[in-house]
Amino acid sequence: MESKAIAVFKEVSYQYPRSAGYALRDVNLSIQRGEFLAVIGATGAGKTTLCLALNGVVPQFFGGRFFGSVEIEGEDTLNVPTSRLAVQVGEVFEDPESQLVATSVENEIAFVLENLKTPREEITARIPVMLAAVRLSGMEKKHPHELSLGQKQRLAIAAALAARPRLLVLDEPTSQLDPHGVQDVFQLLKEFQAAYGLTVVMTGHAAEEMAEYADRVALLSDGTLKALGSPQEMYTAFDLLKENVLRPPQVAETFAQIRQRGVRVDEVPVRLQDGIRAMRALQSRVTICEPEIILPDDAPRGEVILETEELCFQYPDGTSVLRDVNLSVRKGDFVALLGQNGAGKSTLARHFLNLLQPTSGEVRFAGKSTRNFAVSQLAGRIGYVAQNPDHQIFTSSVEEEVSFALKNLGYAASEVRQRTEESLTEMGLAQVRGAHPLSLPKGDRARVVIAAILAMHPEVVIFDEPTTGQDDQGAQAILKVSAKLHRQGKTIVVISHHLYLLPDYARRAVVMGKGSILLDTDLRTAFHQVDVLRQTYLAPPQAVLLAQAVGLHTPLTPAEVAASFASQAGG
Amino acid sequence: MVTYKIQTVEKDSLFTRLDFRTKVLILLVVTLLAFLWDDPIYQAVLTVLILAACFAAGVKKGYVALVLAGMSPFLIFMVLTHAFFNDSQVMRLLEAAELHPFFAFPADWWLIGGLAATWEGLLYGVNVMFKTLSLILVMPLAIFTTDVDEMITSMVQARVPYRLAFIFSSTFRFFPLLWAEFQKIVEAQRLRGLAMESMGLAKRVRVYARVVVPLILGALVRSQQLEVVLQSRAFNGDPDRTYFHEVKMTWVDGVVIGLVLVGSIAAVYGRVRYGWGKFTVWF
Repeated sequence: MESKAIAVFKEVSYQYPRSAGYALRDVNLSIQRGEFLAVIGATGAGKTTLCLALNGVVPQFFGGRFFGSVEIEGEDTLNVPTSRLAVQVGEVFEDPESQLVATSVENEIAFVLENLKTPREEITARIPVMLAAVRLSGMEKKHPHELSLGQKQRLAIAAALAARPRLLVLDEPTSQLDPHGVQDVFQLLKEFQAAYGLTVVMTGHAAEEMAEYADRVALLSDGTLKALGSPQEMYTAFDLLKENVLRPPQVAETFAQIRQRGVRVDEVPVRLQDGIRAMRALQSRVTICEPEIILPDDAPRGEVILETEELCFQYPDGTSVLRDVNLSVRKGDFVALLGQNGAGKSTLARHFLNLLQPTSGEVRFAGKSTRNFAVSQLAGRIGYVAQNPDHQIFTSSVEEEVSFALKNLGYAASEVRQRTEESLTEMGLAQVRGAHPLSLPKGDRARVVIAAILAMHPEVVIFDEPTTGQDDQGAQAILKVSAKLHRQGKTIVVISHHLYLLPDYARRAVVMGKGSILLDTDLRTAFHQVDVLRQTYLAPPQAVLLAQAVGLHTPLTPAEVAASFASQAGG
Repeated sequence: MVTYKIQTVEKDSLFTRLDFRTKVLILLVVTLLAFLWDDPIYQAVLTVLILAACFAAGVKKGYVALVLAGMSPFLIFMVLTHAFFNDSQVMRLLEAAELHPFFAFPADWWLIGGLAATWEGLLYGVNVMFKTLSLILVMPLAIFTTDVDEMITSMVQARVPYRLAFIFSSTFRFFPLLWAEFQKIVEAQRLRGLAMESMGLAKRVRVYARVVVPLILGALVRSQQLEVVLQSRAFNGDPDRTYFHEVKMTWVDGVVIGLVLVGSIAAVYGRVRYGWGKFTVWF
């Protein structure tokens, strides 16, 4: 008879070579056949190591000190070469770019099968089946680089499943994707589970989706398995989550806050549909009314600083990226530029810096056409923080990095010193000024880049997807910096598709889809235009959906939804 | 936008149907002929034939024009160098006691006064120019008409170690990534006030040198990630595996290989026995 567990960790401890601490400590865990196990934890908690221990890469490939055992289908991973474990365990990694190894889509699927000596006829037969399953049929001959990020990740899943493993391990597979890509990945896994009884182990920070799809949730903390339970148990253990700098799904947080206001809530839901049902049930018991939210009168009245008029942009091959974009941003505004990947957000931002020139139409900075400025001139006035900080670091010390731009712009030595000092202090980097920027943690590296840009005293700062690939804490930290800069009078543009992070920061939302502006209004109005957001595959925050389920059209955050119950305490 | 593929021809021709190994043989024979002959007319005919083959195979005119434009300063320099300076080799090849100058600098000029260019040297330079062009133009003929996967499978079948063939294919996969990263880093520097547009060549080179550090660090991280991915996909470098892409020699390959071999043997025999392709001048 088949055993119930497909993988078993027994007293597993592991230390990487040349590393001071243990990445895993005394982990005992049974992964049940056919289940979806979510593994959550702060950055550095040991999630990736746990994933790599499942296919033997830890410790077989890395070496280091390994105690205890990991068994897959009853076999100790230490006794089976990783190349044979690939038949039983498929792995998908975070970065969609670097895990595709072949030069065409079909070769990507064929690669693992070729290595496993699968006959050519069998490979030929399996490729179309796998591509159809991940909705990539017809793309066989494309170079992986030509696919969108979401398509790349689906291809990586198909490649990992080509050898028909019964366990699929995914390490933060959705952190780089837009909401549409994230939904696609989860939906696909559900289909594979239903069709083949696939067991799924996934790490990640997508609390809403994990709660929706996982059967169990394991919480790792500093290498130990701190807690294990159903999504219901785990995502309502608010103190535990907080201790581990994790956030619950918004639906859980909303009901926790409602409960704090004295409203009786029998069970805090963690899934959206349960939450919507619970909201309607509450509505039948208690009166809910639009919360009183005092809207600050902070609409900027300064002069227009960024402006586009009938802006169109096409690549030389005829691909149209921007269509008749009319936008004006006044000094002191805080704009969230929203839309799925490929909606044209970054292309628009690059026009402001004259990195791209319009095919037709006009782009102006402070009333003058950007064609009149060199990129270096605009860069001093419009700071652009790109997504990956590592592509924006070129020197060997934090201090040098921060002064890099000032030297380029020809400031006197005393001015360079003074501005560098100011910027380092402002970003809390004075203590690490001598360190190599790349030796710092990812969040700090992002701050080095921001400090370097701030030293130029730009009037506008554009953050391009600053929260992608960051955990919740990292994302919040960057947005707090943006809010601080806004308070200092700078104009801020944040490009993002993580809508739930923005209500505390942005004032205005510009929603883009397929190269056009679909919506340009205040954030509150925009987030409640759910149909428009869905046109560009954006997911409104759960708090908005819960509010709308009971006919409310103002709340944006769990606290605001809870405030609708303010006068009902004790109900 | 970055081009992610090496330029490939879209046209179906004899060259796209030939096996890569046959193309490698053609490449070797062209190299042999380029070294075997010193007669500028022979070399010119060879270059014209290769050029015609390139167009017949669908190599884009723009690409050929780009190669010719990019190479022209170098080619002109080469021809002039032979015209002015290569007297001794040319005299030896022609067994002549003196050459025929067509231009000389006035004798009273400093350093170069009296320096003369000869007709024979010029012709020898033209011969070298065509040799170079043949060698350059035959490459796209072989590479652009072959799918990367076919190249790999052909290499393995021609007993090139699989690991080497895999590294070759990985280069094609990851070069576009590195190139995109390179562009991002240069762009990030421009966004920190680096005025590339008003920079001289030397300064630009210094900027590019600074890009290398983050680029290499990025590549190192990526290569470690790649190793983990390869392990997870059952890769162990063992040539004992199956191949999805199949390459087979057809009768067309047989005919082409036969013709090429007979032709090259005839060329070598003709050169040794009758002096075909020997460096000669007609005056």
